[in-house]
Amino acid sequence: MAAPLELSCWGGGWGLPSVHSDSLVVMAYAKFSGAPLKVNVIDNTWRGSRGDVPVLTTEDNTISQPAKILNFLRKQKYNADYELSAKQGADTLAYIALLEEKLLPAVLHTFWVESDNYFTVTKPWFASRMPFPLSLILPGRMSKGALNRILLTRGEPPLYHLREVEARIYRDAKECLNLLSNRLGTSQFFFGDMPSTLDAYVFGFLAPLYKVRFPKVQLQEHLKQLSNLCRFCDDILNSYFRLSLGDG
Amino acid sequence: MSLVAEALVSQIAAAEPWPENATLYQQLKGEQILLSDNAASLAVQAFLQMCNLPIKVVCRANAEYMSPSGKVPFIHVGNQVVSELGPIVQFVKAKGHSLSDGLDEVQKAEMKAYMELVNNMLLTAELYLQWCDDATVGEITLARYGSPYPWPLNHILAYQKQWEVKRKMKAIGWGNKTLDQVLEDVDQCCQALSQRLGTQPYFFNKHLNIWKFTVHVLSKSGLENFEHYFTIMPTELDALVFGHLYTILTTQMTNDELSEKVKNYSNLLAFCRRIEQHYFGKGSSSIRLS
Repeated sequence: MAAPLELSCWGGGWGLPSVHSDSLVVMAYAKFSGAPLKVNVIDNTWRGSRGDVPVLTTEDNTISQPAKILNFLRKQKYNADYELSAKQGADTLAYIALLEEKLLPAVLHTFWVESDNYFTVTKPWFASRMPFPLSLILPGRMSKGALNRILLTRGEPPLYHLREVEARIYRDAKECLNLLSNRLGTSQFFFGDMPSTLDAYVFGFLAPLYKVRFPKVQLQEHLKQLSNLCRFCDDILNSYFRLSLGDG
Repeated sequence: MSLVAEALVSQIAAAEPWPENATLYQQLKGEQILLSDNAASLAVQAFLQMCNLPIKVVCRANAEYMSPSGKVPFIHVGNQVVSELGPIVQFVKAKGHSLSDGLDEVQKAEMKAYMELVNNMLLTAELYLQWCDDATVGEITLARYGSPYPWPLNHILAYQKQWEVKRKMKAIGWGNKTLDQVLEDVDQCCQALSQRLGTQPYFFNKHLNIWKFTVHVLSKSGLENFEHYFTIMPTELDALVFGHLYTILTTQMTNDELSEKVKNYSNLLAFCRRIEQHYFGKGSSSIRLS
């Protein structure tokens, strides 16, 4: 009997098993590869550090960061990619890089930097899952981290002004969504009929953007126009996450 | 550049043809330039060679500060200044030259994805090696980066840049990586590039040659021999990969581990030699195989 694998991650809402992209990527991959994960949703009694979430705990060690967790699961023979060709494996890496460079800054901005969204939706949601006094400090720190990441990777020294960057990151994100939509076409998943690592990553990045209700919805509106990407997210939610949603 | 400025540049660019005196600025070749900047500069030079556009390379110690975005290289064409490969490709496209017009939408998406892979992994690994690996920093980077300037400016500039790069590494999650993990990532990236390249000469090989196609259709010669309409051409992805891999292979670092990772893939070596000989006209390759 394999040692139990426990995943600690942020919880769900708005029809999603988790609203946090990284947590969602790991959960989706586990479902696709058949890895038996026991999911522990973080609430305000959880003692560990929230900076590393999602965290996989096994008997011997703890692993954080989605890429490392996925690598570990693959080594344990839970591999969602074994049917892919070498070229498709290479394409996976390339598209994940595209997601991280072009889409992630705008997603971070929508959740953590855009003040209407942050103060009405994101901050209350995360703060309710942290014990006092962390709930006063940590959301602000996460927001600052997101802003930092956007400015350092896309801003231009020496002024690092947010407004100039905003227009560019949203334009890049919309272009990235268009590229993904073109690439997906009418197929069910990105590489044929079985979901793979790339599907987990795309689902992880897109689903929160698609489902969470925000006041400022620029990028969400654009995503909703790409019907094949919306159908992609809904299919995965219905096929792989229906049972767990039924419970909670 | 803001979106408005970019649109303006494109509009002005379209108005004039490519001049003879276009120049590319980078740091001093022998004493100052670092691995990552050299790679970026070579990528742009390769791209312009592939487009058959003449460019003169000028070395200036303060190239980084002259650049509008703070990154090298930048080109000075007519009365416009454009920096970094992405905007330069757009600028050249506005002037009517493009290497990727013959690609379909899915291929264009793939090309963009692979270019991001190179920037995400190879470029970041180069920056890590230059600025976060203590051995390299001490022996090479600190001595080179500020070398044209007098003391204490040379030290101040180098430390300031190091602080900036370390901040960025921390923000993207590379702050805690060890050198071995970074080399692992480089290996993964090279493996992906090698698998994508396969046995082909360039990354994208079948561009529809619109001109040949149109001529044939207009002359009503029929559409047999469809293969005839496709040409084998490199794209900006080939220029970018060449820039980085060639620089890694030919630059002397404190340890050779980085270039050893690339040397494991023979099709990538052949790719670099091919572009070097075809576009930079060298009789024999400077890539050592030892």
